Amino acid sequence: MNSPSPGGRPAAPREVPGNTTGTSDAPNTPDVPDTPGTLDTDKLFAARLQAARARPYLATALFALHVVESRGVPTMAVDAHWRCYVSPAFVDRTPVEELAGVWVHEVSHLLRDHHGRSDRYAHLHELSGPAERLRMNIAADCEINDDIFGDGLVKPEGAVVPGSLGLRDGELMEDYLRQFRLGPHTAHLAWLECGSGADGLPRPWDLGPDGAYGLSRQERDAVRFRVAQGIVGRPGSAPAGWRRWAEEAFHPPQPWRQLLGAAVRAAASAPGTGEDYVYGRPARRSAAVPGAVLPSLRRRPTRVVVVIDTSGSVSDAELGSALLEVAAISRAVGGRGDLVGVLPCDAAAGRVRPLCGGAEGVELLGGGGTDLRTGFTRALETRPRPDVVVVLTDGQTPWPSRRPSCRTVVGLFGRHHGRSSYDESDPEYRPGGPPAWARVVTIG
Amino acid sequence: MPTSTPLFETPQPCPSDVPASRLDVSGALLGLLRDTTTAPRPDPQLEALTLAVAADLPVLLWGEPGIGKTAALTQLADTLDLPLTTVIASVHEPSDFSGLPVIGDDPAGNGIPMAPPDWAVRLVRAGRGLLFLDELSTAPPAVQAALLRLVLERRVGSLRLPPDVRIVAAANPRSSAADGWELSPPLANRFVHLQWVHDVDVVVRGLGGVWPRATLPTLDPGRLTEAVAFARRAVCGLLGARPALVHRLPSGETQRGGAWPSPRSWDMTLSLIAFATAAGASRDVLSMLVRGTVGDGPGLELLAYVDRMDLPDPEDLLADPGGARLPERGDLRQAALDGVVAAVRARPAKDRWDAAWALLARAAETGAPDLLVVPATTLASLRRDDWDVPESIEGIAGAVSVSRRADRANVRALSSAPADR
Repeated sequence: MNSPSPGGRPAAPREVPGNTTGTSDAPNTPDVPDTPGTLDTDKLFAARLQAARARPYLATALFALHVVESRGVPTMAVDAHWRCYVSPAFVDRTPVEELAGVWVHEVSHLLRDHHGRSDRYAHLHELSGPAERLRMNIAADCEINDDIFGDGLVKPEGAVVPGSLGLRDGELMEDYLRQFRLGPHTAHLAWLECGSGADGLPRPWDLGPDGAYGLSRQERDAVRFRVAQGIVGRPGSAPAGWRRWAEEAFHPPQPWRQLLGAAVRAAASAPGTGEDYVYGRPARRSAAVPGAVLPSLRRRPTRVVVVIDTSGSVSDAELGSALLEVAAISRAVGGRGDLVGVLPCDAAAGRVRPLCGGAEGVELLGGGGTDLRTGFTRALETRPRPDVVVVLTDGQTPWPSRRPSCRTVVGLFGRHHGRSSYDESDPEYRPGGPPAWARVVTIG
Repeated sequence: MPTSTPLFETPQPCPSDVPASRLDVSGALLGLLRDTTTAPRPDPQLEALTLAVAADLPVLLWGEPGIGKTAALTQLADTLDLPLTTVIASVHEPSDFSGLPVIGDDPAGNGIPMAPPDWAVRLVRAGRGLLFLDELSTAPPAVQAALLRLVLERRVGSLRLPPDVRIVAAANPRSSAADGWELSPPLANRFVHLQWVHDVDVVVRGLGGVWPRATLPTLDPGRLTEAVAFARRAVCGLLGARPALVHRLPSGETQRGGAWPSPRSWDMTLSLIAFATAAGASRDVLSMLVRGTVGDGPGLELLAYVDRMDLPDPEDLLADPGGARLPERGDLRQAALDGVVAAVRARPAKDRWDAAWALLARAAETGAPDLLVVPATTLASLRRDDWDVPESIEGIAGAVSVSRRADRANVRALSSAPADR
């Protein structure tokens, strides 16, 4: 826990007396005259209370913010250490209900780790300078503002929404950053200022990592975790954007290409498939250690059959990209082109064809309903038998009731964002997922 | 007098009449390049590594190749004054870890001894040391299976490693291991997984000649009993409330090869909390250790539970509302007040109810008023007919007005233009 350190504090920002500890009953608090320009804490905290009532799942995060009065900020701004800098003049001229919206907006920056993501984006793309950081602030605002307002929260004046920049709703900050440049159409946003908590660029009024009342990295994680748990535990009241955030906050989706690669590699190189130690032949070190019996490493090439769901519900682009990956992976694990077979399958399975000339030569026929069980049967009938079966599907299919006699990797095309046709008629219906014996990688 | 190398002055004294050999000059240049200094700098990941090694738990460092895992190990070995033995797991065969079967005169009568490799013999002879198993994730499955016994039972063939030998392993993450096998869940469960990342600033300064030197944690002998009690309270308290966390095999593809909760890893967590407490380590270090032992989700739940344990005891607060010290962070303060109200609800009595109001009034003096609204509302609902409202209730008038103001704003918000979403 951070202890107050009055000596090391810069002069400009002032601790709001209402939110400090009671360790020393600060006598100066009541003496401050209620002059214009003094922070109206009652109004500010009334707004926070309203925000916490409108969004109960964010209450922990809202209350964890430490308020610092600052004349340097135009409106309200946050830093990476969960301090909230507030301009007294802004509080005076803004109605309570709008302030509540600003509270939720600022805390969203912190919960969604916009400063860390901005830094990573800047690092990855070698961006620098305040203009790029402004762009990140705008993109972060777009990510937040498209779904937090309404339902008891008023959108503050001048809040940026993706639509005002000609962008689509519901995307991530990183996606927005790729889609717009600063220019005349964003000139009116140049005053936009959510602080270093939104874009990672240090501000003059920031108290910095050593200042008082900052949250340590672990404390920040703990608050984010509690908020995420609250949303996952009672998902009913939270909008979809927050639910997605909560599910991914501590288990970010991993790059499916690497996961698929690792899954296929692990399946192809596990004991019993490609390679293992055998005592059948003497090891190369046997000559050096007379009298010792040593096992030797033997490898035979791994055979992979890729079963592809060609039913109508899977798009060509999805299939094409995934198929290319699988071909590359299975060649990398030692399978030559002729050891990789491809089997298109909708309700009926075709014939396993070797993938000799690369994925371009594969004809993907089909388009009807799906029954992958025939695909499994046909794949296992192949002689010589495959060591690994890779299935690329959207999962809307019956699965074999028993575990097949070889390792199975399922590449499952992601079906979130409500694209599934099942949602319309019966929102409760979920197609049975892949069985437990398969290793499942969600693609896309 | 002019030397043969006018551009370069050798720092080593060298007889001027003998021309320096080329190798000497290059040796001098190498000496200059290696002449670096160190500066103290806090390093949480090295602290976590030190604590886990001190707790005699096997550590697995996950990190991209070339980011200084071995350098960190060398520094650790220096600090702990342990000789460092490095074994590259991926170039060994299983028999190097399970012992090489050597056929003697009468195998049926005398049996076949499993001879240990030389590095194990030297480790046993030294009696102490730091064993570094590098490239663990690229070892074939059979080698990993043999390593299981080494890591868990500390046996190499017929040799048993002495208790003062510490084991650290390193592995490349799945994304960068070009032909990696992943750790099987049983092997993964035996390690404390630490993510090893490099810091750009540290690398740049180090290449400029100044490497960081971390001051490593030391255990405080006076705090050992307290540390064990604290660790037991934390782990048992959490698992008592969340029995589902005791054992959970990794299910998703993303969590394979990483830490997961089991009675074994909870036992390791218990030791690590005790060591971190006795060393006075920061919560960041504890967080790395706990999340690296039982995984992110259960680890975060444990840390959240430990945060709750830090809250003042509701009964203490009720006993002395005037001298109470409440947490300064808003969410923790509200949690403490909620705890007090819950304590009053559990054992209602007039004097406890009054004390709770006094406590709320004190909280209103020293903190934000909006935090009080929920506890105060709940507390008011606990009133019995024969209880008079205490005078201290006026202290929270500010909270009441803030609440009314929020209500009014809420009405305005709901009546304004319906949501544009």
